[in-house]
Amino acid sequence: MFERIMSSKGWWRLFQAYGLVFLIFLYLPLALIFVYSFNANPINMAVWTEFTFDWYKTIFFGAGTAGSFDAAFTESPDRIFEVVRNSAIVALSASTISTVIGTATAIAIRRYDFVGKKVYQALLVLPMIVPDIVLGIALLIFFVGAGFELSLLTVIIGHTTFLSSYVFVVVSARLAGMDMSLERASADLGAGPLTTFRRVTLPQIMPGVVGGFLLAFIISLDDVVITYFIAGVGSQTLPLFILAMMRRGLRPQINALAILLLSFTFTVAAIGLYLRSRKS
Amino acid sequence: MAETGATASRNRRTLILLLAPLTILLGVFFLIPLGIMVVYSFLEPGLYGGVEWNWYPYNYGRLIGWPLNDYEVFDPIYLKIFLNSLQIALMTVAGTLLLSYPAAFWVASMKGPRKSLVLFLVALPFFANMLVRIYAWLLLLRPTGFLSTLLESTGLIIEPLDLLFTNFSVIVGMVYVLTPFMFLPIYANVEKLDYSLVRASRDLGATNVQTLWRIILPLTAPGIIGGSVIVFIPALGNFIVPSLLGGSKVQMTGNLIERSFLQSRDWPFGAALALLIMAFVVVLFSLQFSRQSKSEGQGTR
Repeated sequence: MFERIMSSKGWWRLFQAYGLVFLIFLYLPLALIFVYSFNANPINMAVWTEFTFDWYKTIFFGAGTAGSFDAAFTESPDRIFEVVRNSAIVALSASTISTVIGTATAIAIRRYDFVGKKVYQALLVLPMIVPDIVLGIALLIFFVGAGFELSLLTVIIGHTTFLSSYVFVVVSARLAGMDMSLERASADLGAGPLTTFRRVTLPQIMPGVVGGFLLAFIISLDDVVITYFIAGVGSQTLPLFILAMMRRGLRPQINALAILLLSFTFTVAAIGLYLRSRKS
Repeated sequence: MAETGATASRNRRTLILLLAPLTILLGVFFLIPLGIMVVYSFLEPGLYGGVEWNWYPYNYGRLIGWPLNDYEVFDPIYLKIFLNSLQIALMTVAGTLLLSYPAAFWVASMKGPRKSLVLFLVALPFFANMLVRIYAWLLLLRPTGFLSTLLESTGLIIEPLDLLFTNFSVIVGMVYVLTPFMFLPIYANVEKLDYSLVRASRDLGATNVQTLWRIILPLTAPGIIGGSVIVFIPALGNFIVPSLLGGSKVQMTGNLIERSFLQSRDWPFGAALALLIMAFVVVLFSLQFSRQSKSEGQGTR
């Protein structure tokens, strides 16, 4: 098909070359972090001295244990552990709660008709459209005004609010392809609503639910802007910590931390993308 | 099938039960906060942060040239910053579009497992942490960074090259972060393109340029417009990219909002700025929505 559009061989080759350039554009910057994360040079990362795993070691064991790097170049492992734990608590709770809530809403919307359904659906996707910074400051004003102390709880609430919309959209897409007569058949055969949900509805929408959960988990784990406004002093998450590190100056330890975070999110995302490709 | 009164009321109960959690969540932690923000934007900033409950339209006045009183002179700096943000956001849209449009055709031209692999590779960076992706460009662009060191070692430049803290570096960072948002809608559109029209155009003697301009571009317009809207909005309100890649030299409205909340503690002014951005979002989405429903209406005719 395209060979015909690209009538000459030269254009076709140029087109293929462009595709490679596009992929290189996407991956070269990330590859650069990867390479630098093994460079022992503590002063200038762009100048290669020798290969080392030490930056990774400092994340887990601190400055004293690895090589000759002094503490000026690294953050304490206790501190890193604390922010990773914060991130894990927030991402797991927010994505779990929003998966339950988003799925319940998606099922209700698919199953029932009611007055004002169109408007209600528009409201449901609104949090995905509003810019992060607006959501962040609106929540900040609200939490401070309502007397909430900014903490992990406010971060979890804030994340759950907009993540529910994402889960709703993902699960709805899955529900759209589902045969609703099976639910009715199950009810007609005498199954209660819970049994019908557990044995008929849930197995069918499971890929959507898992996909929604993974998406919510990654978005929560990566979120910077909203968390930036609604996290308190003791509730710094990993991305906020990395941001603070970057603002203090670029130290090689950031490379190693970034690569660890990237490997983790890529693994989760790859599982999600695989599940989605299997579903269709 | 007639529903009995009992099932109808049970259905209603289930519906309310299923919808209640998200409705309450969005009501309390989304709609009310947005409402409070609107109210705050019309209140007087307190002397030590917080607000005074007085009607005070001058938060908007500071923005659009309507000074508080005779002693205050209108300073167009905020308007300038907003216009600069608009310019950066538009350049970002242009950049992502130029990169993604040919790439979408490239991926669409593939088949089988190779296509799935490339699609996977294009989608994956989307999930990479935004900070990490911006950080990569700091490593590339700074004076002691990859590009400058590379060019120096080849002898092309003598002095270290400082590409950071310019509109250019901010746009590059934004383009990198937002490219997936442009690629995916365009790809979805290109994938469905009806090639018989392209062939017809060529058979009827149209040149490549004519075919591209008169047939392919109009057919892929929905993807282009959709992608542009969802790139423009996060670009306009962004403050992380300009604060890291633009430093203190490039100011965007997002930086102003951040500063009025976390540093100068002038919350009403920050709220007014945020609403200015929201206004753009609302207008763009209603335009997009009405265009979409119009084309759907034509489809059923």
